[in-house]
Amino acid sequence: MSTDAKTAEGVPAPVRRNGFTDETLDWRAWLQPLKLDQASPLQLEVLDESHPQSRTSSYYLTLAHQPLMLRHRSAAYNAIMYAPGGLPRAERELGALVVSVTNGCVYCTSVHAQRFEQLAKRSDTVEQVFDDPRTAGTSERERAIARFAIAVTERPQALAAADIAPLRALGLSDEEIIDLLHAVAIFGWANRLMQNLGEPVSKA
Amino acid sequence: MPPHLDDIDMIDRAAGLEPGDPLHSARRFRAKVVEASQASHDALLLLPVEGLSPADRLRVAAHVCHLAGAASLEQHYVERLADAPDRDEPSTPALPATLTFAAALTTDPRLGDRAALQALRDAGLGDAAIVALAQLVAFLSYQLRVVAGLQAMQSAGAGGTK
Repeated sequence: MSTDAKTAEGVPAPVRRNGFTDETLDWRAWLQPLKLDQASPLQLEVLDESHPQSRTSSYYLTLAHQPLMLRHRSAAYNAIMYAPGGLPRAERELGALVVSVTNGCVYCTSVHAQRFEQLAKRSDTVEQVFDDPRTAGTSERERAIARFAIAVTERPQALAAADIAPLRALGLSDEEIIDLLHAVAIFGWANRLMQNLGEPVSKA
Repeated sequence: MPPHLDDIDMIDRAAGLEPGDPLHSARRFRAKVVEASQASHDALLLLPVEGLSPADRLRVAAHVCHLAGAASLEQHYVERLADAPDRDEPSTPALPATLTFAAALTTDPRLGDRAALQALRDAGLGDAAIVALAQLVAFLSYQLRVVAGLQAMQSAGAGGTK
Protein backbone atom coordinates (compact mmCIF):
# COMPACT_ATOMS: atom_id res chain seq x y z
CA MET A 1 0.00 0.00 0.00
CA SER A 2 1.49 3.37 -0.95
CA THR A 3 1.21 6.54 1.10
CA ASP A 4 -1.15 8.04 -1.42
CA ALA A 5 -3.47 5.07 -1.77
CA LYS A 6 -7.08 6.28 -1.86
CA THR A 7 -10.37 4.55 -2.27
CA ALA A 8 -12.65 5.43 -5.17
CA GLU A 9 -14.35 8.10 -3.02
CA GLY A 10 -11.06 9.90 -2.40
CA VAL A 11 -10.93 8.84 1.25
CA PRO A 12 -7.43 7.68 2.27
CA ALA A 13 -7.20 3.88 2.38
CA PRO A 14 -6.69 2.43 5.86
CA VAL A 15 -3.15 1.68 6.97
CA ARG A 16 -2.90 -2.03 7.88
CA ARG A 17 0.50 -3.57 8.68
CA ASN A 18 1.95 -6.14 11.05
CA GLY A 19 -1.41 -6.72 12.73
CA PHE A 20 -1.93 -2.98 13.39
CA THR A 21 -4.53 -0.73 11.79
CA ASP A 22 -5.61 2.90 11.89
CA GLU A 23 -9.25 1.87 11.49
CA THR A 24 -11.71 2.36 14.37
CA LEU A 25 -11.96 -0.74 16.59
CA ASP A 26 -14.26 -1.79 19.40
CA TRP A 27 -13.07 -3.17 22.73
CA ARG A 28 -14.65 -6.01 24.73
CA ALA A 29 -14.22 -6.24 28.51
CA TRP A 30 -13.27 -9.50 30.24
CA LEU A 31 -14.81 -8.25 33.50
CA GLN A 32 -18.42 -7.19 33.93
CA PRO A 33 -18.66 -3.48 33.01
CA LEU A 34 -20.78 -1.25 35.23
CA LYS A 35 -24.42 -1.13 34.14
CA LEU A 36 -25.52 2.47 33.67
CA ASP A 37 -28.84 1.99 35.45
CA GLN A 38 -26.91 0.83 38.52
CA ALA A 39 -24.35 3.67 38.45
CA SER A 40 -24.06 6.01 41.43
CA PRO A 41 -24.16 9.79 40.92
CA LEU A 42 -20.38 9.85 41.50
CA GLN A 43 -19.80 7.16 38.87
CA LEU A 44 -21.87 9.09 36.32
CA GLU A 45 -20.05 12.33 37.13
CA VAL A 46 -16.63 10.71 36.71
CA LEU A 47 -17.66 8.99 33.47
CA ASP A 48 -18.75 12.33 32.03
CA GLU A 49 -15.53 14.09 33.01
CA SER A 50 -13.37 11.25 31.64
CA HIS A 51 -14.39 11.04 27.98
CA PRO A 52 -17.32 12.29 25.84
CA GLN A 53 -18.42 8.73 24.91
CA SER A 54 -17.63 6.99 28.16
CA ARG A 55 -21.27 6.11 29.01
CA THR A 56 -21.28 3.73 26.04
CA SER A 57 -17.67 2.56 26.35
CA SER A 58 -17.00 -0.89 27.88
CA TYR A 59 -13.54 0.32 28.84
CA TYR A 60 -14.70 3.35 30.85
CA LEU A 61 -17.65 1.42 32.29
CA THR A 62 -15.19 -1.21 33.55
CA LEU A 63 -12.87 1.37 35.11
CA ALA A 64 -15.90 3.12 36.67
CA HIS A 65 -16.05 0.30 39.25
CA GLN A 66 -13.44 2.49 41.01
CA PRO A 67 -14.70 5.99 40.23
CA LEU A 68 -12.18 8.01 42.25
CA MET A 69 -9.26 6.06 40.80
CA LEU A 70 -10.70 6.72 37.32
CA ARG A 71 -11.18 10.41 38.14
CA HIS A 72 -7.50 11.01 38.90
CA ARG A 73 -6.33 8.81 36.00
CA SER A 74 -8.50 10.83 33.60
CA ALA A 75 -7.29 14.14 35.03
CA ALA A 76 -3.67 13.05 34.46
CA TYR A 77 -4.38 11.61 31.02
CA ASN A 78 -6.34 14.60 29.73
CA ALA A 79 -3.76 17.11 31.00
CA ILE A 80 -0.90 15.10 29.49
CA MET A 81 -2.44 14.58 26.05
CA TYR A 82 -4.60 17.69 25.53
CA ALA A 83 -3.23 20.65 27.54
CA PRO A 84 -2.17 23.58 25.34
CA GLY A 85 1.43 24.79 25.01
CA GLY A 86 4.60 22.79 25.44
CA LEU A 87 5.28 19.89 23.09
CA PRO A 88 3.02 19.98 20.01
CA ARG A 89 0.09 17.59 20.43
CA ALA A 90 0.95 15.63 17.28
CA GLU A 91 4.32 14.80 18.84
CA ARG A 92 2.69 13.65 22.09
CA GLU A 93 0.48 11.40 19.93
CA LEU A 94 3.57 10.10 18.13
CA GLY A 95 5.07 9.14 21.51
CA ALA A 96 1.80 7.40 22.50
CA LEU A 97 1.67 5.59 19.14
CA VAL A 98 5.26 4.31 19.33
CA VAL A 99 4.73 3.01 22.88
CA SER A 100 1.46 1.31 21.90
CA VAL A 101 3.11 -0.48 18.94
CA THR A 102 6.12 -1.43 21.09
CA ASN A 103 3.81 -2.88 23.75
CA GLY A 104 1.67 -4.61 21.11
CA CYS A 105 -1.53 -2.77 22.10
CA VAL A 106 -3.60 -2.99 18.91
CA TYR A 107 -6.53 -0.98 20.30
CA CYS A 108 -4.47 1.98 21.59
CA THR A 109 -2.44 1.91 18.38
CA SER A 110 -5.57 2.35 16.24
CA VAL A 111 -6.81 5.30 18.30
CA HIS A 112 -3.49 7.15 18.42
CA ALA A 113 -2.63 6.47 14.78
CA GLN A 114 -5.89 8.26 13.94
CA ARG A 115 -5.16 11.13 16.34
CA PHE A 116 -1.69 11.62 14.87
CA GLU A 117 -3.10 11.59 11.33
CA GLN A 118 -5.77 14.15 12.28
CA LEU A 119 -3.26 16.51 13.89
CA ALA A 120 -0.40 16.07 11.38
CA LYS A 121 -2.70 15.70 8.34
CA ARG A 122 -0.62 12.82 6.94
CA SER A 123 -0.13 9.09 7.52
CA ASP A 124 3.45 8.47 6.33
CA THR A 125 4.88 8.41 9.87
CA VAL A 126 2.14 6.00 10.99
CA GLU A 127 3.07 3.56 8.21
CA GLN A 128 6.71 3.70 9.30
CA VAL A 129 5.83 3.11 12.96
CA PHE A 130 3.69 0.10 12.04
CA ASP A 131 6.60 -1.26 9.94
CA ASP A 132 9.29 -0.70 12.57
CA PRO A 133 9.12 1.87 15.37
CA ARG A 134 12.91 1.61 15.87
CA THR A 135 13.66 3.26 12.54
CA ALA A 136 10.43 5.26 12.16
CA GLY A 137 10.23 9.02 11.64
CA THR A 138 10.10 11.33 8.62
CA SER A 139 12.50 13.83 10.26
CA GLU A 140 15.37 13.79 12.72
CA ARG A 141 12.97 15.15 15.34
CA GLU A 142 10.40 12.37 14.80
CA ARG A 143 13.13 9.73 14.90
CA ALA A 144 14.47 11.13 18.18
CA ILE A 145 10.96 11.12 19.70
CA ALA A 146 10.40 7.50 18.60
CA ARG A 147 13.75 6.33 19.97
CA PHE A 148 13.14 8.05 23.32
CA ALA A 149 9.65 6.49 23.55
CA ILE A 150 11.11 3.01 23.00
CA ALA A 151 13.91 3.56 25.53
CA VAL A 152 11.48 4.71 28.25
CA THR A 153 9.20 1.77 27.49
CA GLU A 154 11.79 -1.00 27.31
CA ARG A 155 14.59 0.01 29.67
CA PRO A 156 13.41 2.68 32.12
CA GLN A 157 16.07 1.87 34.72
CA ALA A 158 18.86 2.21 32.13
CA LEU A 159 17.79 5.70 31.00
CA ALA A 160 20.74 8.05 31.12
CA ALA A 161 21.96 11.47 30.03
CA ALA A 162 22.71 9.97 26.60
CA ASP A 163 18.96 9.42 26.08
CA ILE A 164 18.22 13.08 26.83
CA ALA A 165 21.04 14.62 24.77
CA PRO A 166 19.47 14.01 21.30
CA LEU A 167 16.25 15.76 22.39
CA ARG A 168 18.12 18.74 23.77
CA ALA A 169 20.31 18.90 20.65
CA LEU A 170 17.10 19.29 18.62
CA GLY A 171 16.12 22.26 20.77
CA LEU A 172 13.52 20.70 23.05
CA SER A 173 13.18 22.57 26.34
CA ASP A 174 12.96 20.69 29.65
CA GLU A 175 9.21 21.42 29.72
CA GLU A 176 8.82 19.80 26.29
CA ILE A 177 10.94 16.78 27.24
CA ILE A 178 8.77 16.34 30.35
CA ASP A 179 5.66 16.56 28.14
CA LEU A 180 7.07 13.75 26.00
CA LEU A 181 8.09 11.72 29.06
CA HIS A 182 4.57 12.06 30.48
CA ALA A 183 2.92 11.03 27.19
CA VAL A 184 5.19 8.02 26.84
CA ALA A 185 4.89 6.97 30.49
CA ILE A 186 1.11 7.24 30.63
CA PHE A 187 0.88 4.81 27.74
CA GLY A 188 2.74 2.35 29.94
CA TRP A 189 -0.37 2.78 32.11
CA ALA A 190 -3.05 2.91 29.39
CA ASN A 191 -1.73 -0.01 27.32
CA ARG A 192 -1.61 -2.27 30.37
CA LEU A 193 -5.28 -1.62 31.19
CA MET A 194 -6.44 -2.07 27.59
CA GLN A 195 -4.41 -5.26 27.12
CA ASN A 196 -5.19 -6.88 30.44
CA LEU A 197 -8.86 -6.05 31.13
CA GLY A 198 -10.20 -6.92 27.67
CA GLU A 199 -9.45 -7.18 23.98
CA PRO A 200 -9.94 -5.30 20.70
CA VAL A 201 -12.64 -6.47 18.33
CA SER A 202 -13.48 -5.38 14.80
CA LYS A 203 -16.35 -2.95 14.39
CA ALA A 204 -19.54 -4.83 13.59
CA MET B 1 -5.14 22.10 46.18
CA PRO B 2 -2.90 22.99 43.23
CA PRO B 3 0.78 22.20 43.79
CA HIS B 4 3.00 25.02 44.94
CA LEU B 5 6.45 25.86 43.68
CA ASP B 6 7.97 24.89 47.00
CA ASP B 7 5.99 21.67 47.42
CA ILE B 8 7.68 18.29 47.17
CA ASP B 9 5.60 15.33 46.02
CA MET B 10 6.56 11.71 45.96
CA ILE B 11 7.78 11.79 42.36
CA ASP B 12 10.15 14.64 43.29
CA ARG B 13 11.31 12.70 46.31
CA ALA B 14 11.89 9.46 44.37
CA ALA B 15 13.70 11.35 41.59
CA GLY B 16 15.78 13.42 44.04
CA LEU B 17 14.34 16.81 43.02
CA GLU B 18 14.13 19.72 45.44
CA PRO B 19 12.52 23.15 45.30
CA GLY B 20 14.86 25.45 43.41
CA ASP B 21 16.05 22.69 41.03
CA PRO B 22 15.25 23.70 37.45
CA LEU B 23 13.53 20.33 36.90
CA HIS B 24 11.36 20.81 39.98
CA SER B 25 10.08 24.07 38.44
CA ALA B 26 9.81 22.55 34.94
CA ARG B 27 7.47 19.86 36.32
CA ARG B 28 5.18 22.62 37.66
CA PHE B 29 4.62 23.84 34.07
CA ARG B 30 2.13 20.92 34.14
CA ALA B 31 0.70 21.53 37.60
CA LYS B 32 -2.40 19.46 36.76
CA VAL B 33 -0.26 16.45 35.91
CA VAL B 34 1.75 16.81 39.13
CA GLU B 35 -1.46 17.06 41.13
CA ALA B 36 -3.27 14.17 39.39
CA SER B 37 -0.22 11.88 39.62
CA GLN B 38 -0.03 12.39 43.39
CA ALA B 39 -3.83 12.08 43.73
CA SER B 40 -3.73 8.81 41.76
CA HIS B 41 -1.05 7.45 44.06
CA ASP B 42 -3.06 8.40 47.14
CA ALA B 43 -6.36 7.02 45.79
CA LEU B 44 -4.88 3.75 44.54
CA LEU B 45 -3.18 3.00 47.85
CA LEU B 46 -5.49 4.50 50.46
CA LEU B 47 -9.11 4.25 49.30
CA PRO B 48 -11.04 1.35 50.78
CA VAL B 49 -11.26 -1.59 48.36
CA GLU B 50 -13.28 -4.64 49.32
CA GLY B 51 -10.91 -7.63 49.57
CA LEU B 52 -7.65 -5.71 49.07
CA SER B 53 -6.38 -3.78 52.10
CA PRO B 54 -4.07 -0.75 51.88
CA ALA B 55 -1.24 -2.83 53.41
CA ASP B 56 -1.66 -5.53 50.77
CA ARG B 57 -1.63 -2.89 48.03
CA LEU B 58 1.62 -1.52 49.48
CA ARG B 59 3.02 -5.08 49.36
CA VAL B 60 2.04 -5.28 45.69
CA ALA B 61 3.62 -1.88 45.00
CA ALA B 62 6.89 -2.77 46.73
CA HIS B 63 7.02 -6.07 44.82
CA VAL B 64 6.41 -4.34 41.47
CA CYS B 65 9.10 -1.71 42.09
CA HIS B 66 11.53 -4.41 43.22
CA LEU B 67 10.96 -6.43 40.03
CA ALA B 68 11.29 -3.30 37.90
CA GLY B 69 14.50 -2.26 39.64
CA ALA B 70 12.97 1.06 40.72
CA ALA B 71 15.00 1.34 43.93
CA SER B 72 13.86 4.71 45.28
CA LEU B 73 10.20 3.87 44.72
CA GLU B 74 10.61 0.42 46.27
CA GLN B 75 12.07 2.10 49.35
CA HIS B 76 9.11 4.52 49.45
CA TYR B 77 6.56 1.68 49.41
CA VAL B 78 8.50 -0.42 51.94
CA GLU B 79 8.59 2.56 54.31
CA ARG B 80 4.91 3.28 53.78
CA LEU B 81 4.14 -0.36 54.59
CA ALA B 82 6.15 -0.16 57.81
CA ASP B 83 3.93 2.77 58.87
CA ALA B 84 0.62 1.36 57.60
CA PRO B 85 -1.98 1.06 60.38
CA ASP B 86 -3.13 -2.33 59.02
CA ARG B 87 0.37 -3.79 58.47
CA ASP B 88 -0.04 -6.49 61.16
CA GLU B 89 -3.45 -7.67 60.02
CA PRO B 90 -3.51 -10.90 58.03
CA SER B 91 -3.05 -10.49 54.28
CA THR B 92 -5.81 -11.45 51.92
CA PRO B 93 -5.67 -15.12 50.85
CA ALA B 94 -5.59 -13.68 47.32
CA LEU B 95 -2.17 -12.03 47.89
CA PRO B 96 -0.12 -14.69 46.03
CA ALA B 97 -2.45 -14.41 43.03
CA THR B 98 -2.26 -10.60 43.08
CA LEU B 99 1.57 -10.72 43.17
CA THR B 100 1.62 -13.14 40.21
CA PHE B 101 -0.74 -10.89 38.25
CA ALA B 102 1.27 -7.77 39.15
CA ALA B 103 4.55 -9.36 38.09
CA ALA B 104 3.24 -10.38 34.68
CA LEU B 105 1.59 -7.02 34.07
CA THR B 106 4.74 -5.14 35.02
CA THR B 107 7.16 -7.30 33.05
CA ASP B 108 5.26 -7.56 29.78
CA PRO B 109 1.87 -6.01 29.04
CA ARG B 110 1.29 -8.67 26.37
CA LEU B 111 1.11 -11.47 28.96
CA GLY B 112 -2.42 -10.63 30.12
CA ASP B 113 -5.40 -12.73 29.12
CA ARG B 114 -8.84 -13.72 30.30
CA ALA B 115 -7.39 -16.61 32.33
CA ALA B 116 -5.24 -14.21 34.37
CA LEU B 117 -8.37 -12.33 35.48
CA GLN B 118 -10.19 -15.59 36.17
CA ALA B 119 -7.31 -16.63 38.45
CA LEU B 120 -7.88 -13.47 40.50
CA ARG B 121 -11.62 -14.21 40.70
CA ASP B 122 -10.87 -17.79 41.74
CA ALA B 123 -8.61 -16.41 44.48
CA GLY B 124 -11.63 -14.48 45.82
CA LEU B 125 -11.34 -10.99 44.33
CA GLY B 126 -14.41 -9.27 42.95
CA ASP B 127 -14.39 -7.26 39.75
CA ALA B 128 -14.09 -3.90 41.57
CA ALA B 129 -11.01 -5.17 43.45
CA ILE B 130 -9.51 -6.47 40.19
CA VAL B 131 -10.00 -3.03 38.60
CA ALA B 132 -8.27 -1.42 41.60
CA LEU B 133 -5.37 -3.89 41.36
CA ALA B 134 -4.95 -3.41 37.59
CA GLN B 135 -5.07 0.39 37.98
CA LEU B 136 -2.46 0.27 40.74
CA VAL B 137 -0.02 -1.91 38.82
CA ALA B 138 -0.51 0.01 35.56
CA PHE B 139 -0.05 3.32 37.43
CA LEU B 140 3.25 2.04 38.86
CA SER B 141 4.47 1.43 35.30
CA TYR B 142 3.76 5.12 34.63
CA GLN B 143 5.22 6.38 37.89
CA LEU B 144 8.48 4.45 37.66
CA ARG B 145 9.03 5.69 34.09
CA VAL B 146 8.42 9.32 35.04
CA VAL B 147 10.88 8.99 37.94
CA ALA B 148 13.51 7.27 35.76
CA GLY B 149 13.13 9.89 33.02
CA LEU B 150 13.52 12.75 35.50
CA GLN B 151 16.61 11.09 36.97
CA ALA B 152 18.10 10.85 33.46
CA MET B 153 17.30 14.52 32.83
CA GLN B 154 18.87 15.45 36.17
CA SER B 155 22.04 13.51 35.29
CA ALA B 156 22.19 15.31 31.94
CA GLY B 157 22.63 18.62 33.79
CA ALA B 158 20.92 21.92 33.19
CA GLY B 159 18.79 22.12 30.07
CA GLY B 160 16.91 24.87 28.33
CA THR B 161 13.60 26.29 29.44
CA LYS B 162 10.91 28.13 27.54
